[in-house]
Amino acid sequence: MILIINTTTDQEISRQVRAFIQDTGKEAEIIEAGKMNIHPCAGCNHCWLKTPGVCSIKDDYEFILKKIIHADQLWVISDTAWGFLDHKGKNIYDRILPVATMYLKFSGKQMRHIMRYKQKTDIGIIYTGDGDREYLERWNKRAALNFGSRSLGAFPVETMKEAIACM
Amino acid sequence: MHVMIINGSPRVKQFSNTDKILEEFTKGMCENGTTFEQYEISDRRQWDAIREAYYQNENILIALPLYVECIPGLLMEFLETLHHREDKVRLSFILQSGFAEGIQLRCGEAYLEKLAGRLGCEYGGTLVKGDNFSIRLLGEEQRKKVTGPYENMGREFGKQGNFLSDTCRSFTGPEVFPAYVRWMLSLIFQTFAKKGFNRFAKSWGCKEPLDYKPYE
Repeated sequence: MILIINTTTDQEISRQVRAFIQDTGKEAEIIEAGKMNIHPCAGCNHCWLKTPGVCSIKDDYEFILKKIIHADQLWVISDTAWGFLDHKGKNIYDRILPVATMYLKFSGKQMRHIMRYKQKTDIGIIYTGDGDREYLERWNKRAALNFGSRSLGAFPVETMKEAIACM
Repeated sequence: MHVMIINGSPRVKQFSNTDKILEEFTKGMCENGTTFEQYEISDRRQWDAIREAYYQNENILIALPLYVECIPGLLMEFLETLHHREDKVRLSFILQSGFAEGIQLRCGEAYLEKLAGRLGCEYGGTLVKGDNFSIRLLGEEQRKKVTGPYENMGREFGKQGNFLSDTCRSFTGPEVFPAYVRWMLSLIFQTFAKKGFNRFAKSWGCKEPLDYKPYE
C-alpha cells in the first residue's frame, strides 16, 4: 500500500498527485494532515520504555501511525523552511519513534534500534518552496535508517511526476 | 563575551539531557568572565522572549538533541518565526544524540551549517557528540561522568567564542567503532543492556514487553 501524507494545506497538490497515480493504475491513500492536530515529539521515551509502541501524545498522529506500519511506501508532502522540511513535515518523521524498540543492534557499522514490526516502509518526500534538494535527499537516506528501510528520494512539487514514477 | 543560549530540546527542562550538558558546559564557559542567558524551547511561553533576545545578541548558541537525523520539529517551528539577520552575529551549536558514533550526527551537523548561513549568521561550528541517552536514567554521580567532559569544551568556547578548534572537533570521539568493539557491544546489547532496559521500564510502570506490537 502507498500512503501519502499531505502536511501542507494545499489540497490541489493532493488532487494532482491522485490524478497522476490513477494514470499509472497504482493504488494509494492520501491523508490530508495540513489541518490535523499533530503535536511535535516531546522526547518522553514512553513509546520505548513505558507504553511500548504507543505514543503518550493523544492526537491525530495515532491514526497516521497505524497506517504507516502497514504501508509499503510512505510519501510526505511538506512545505519547507530554511531549506529543510517545515515543522509539520518534520513532525511526521519525529513521531515515528514507536515503530522502533528500545533494543539495540548493529546494522553494518552503525548502532540502530531493533524495529518493532516486520513491515519495511520505504520513504519519500515531495516538497514545496525553497528546499535544499541535495540535502533533503541526503537526509531522507539517513531518515530511512529509522524505518529500517530505504529512501525513495526527495522531489520538488514541480517534479512530482518523477516521484510518482518511483511509487 | 555574553552568550545567548537556546536549549532546543523539546523535552521539559527537568528531564532534558541537553540541559544537563549545558549545566556542565556553562561552568567551564564562565571561568574567564563570560556571561550567559539561557532559554528553553520546550516552554512556548518563552518564545517571545527568545525571539527578542535572538535579535539583540551577537553570540548565540543553540544546543539540541538529534531527532531523526536533524533538528527536532519543535525547534524548527520556532525557527520558522525568525527572519534573516543582516547584522554581524555568530551562531554556534551543540549537537548531541543517543547513538554513540560520530557518523550518526554528521547529517544533522551539515544542516546546522546550512541553517546558520540561511539565517544570515556567521557559523561558529558545532560541538558534536553522541552517547548521551543515559543522562536522564543515571544517578547524579554516574551522570557527571557523561556530562563532565562538556565543562572543558565550555572552557574552550569561552576562550575562542566558537567550536572551530581541533580540540572541539576531536571531542566527538570515533566516527565508527572498530570491529572488535562492535562485536563486544552486540553481545552487551543482547544481554546486559536488554536486562537494564527491561528493569528500567519496570521502574516506570511498564506492563508490556518492550518489543510489544500494539497495532498488529
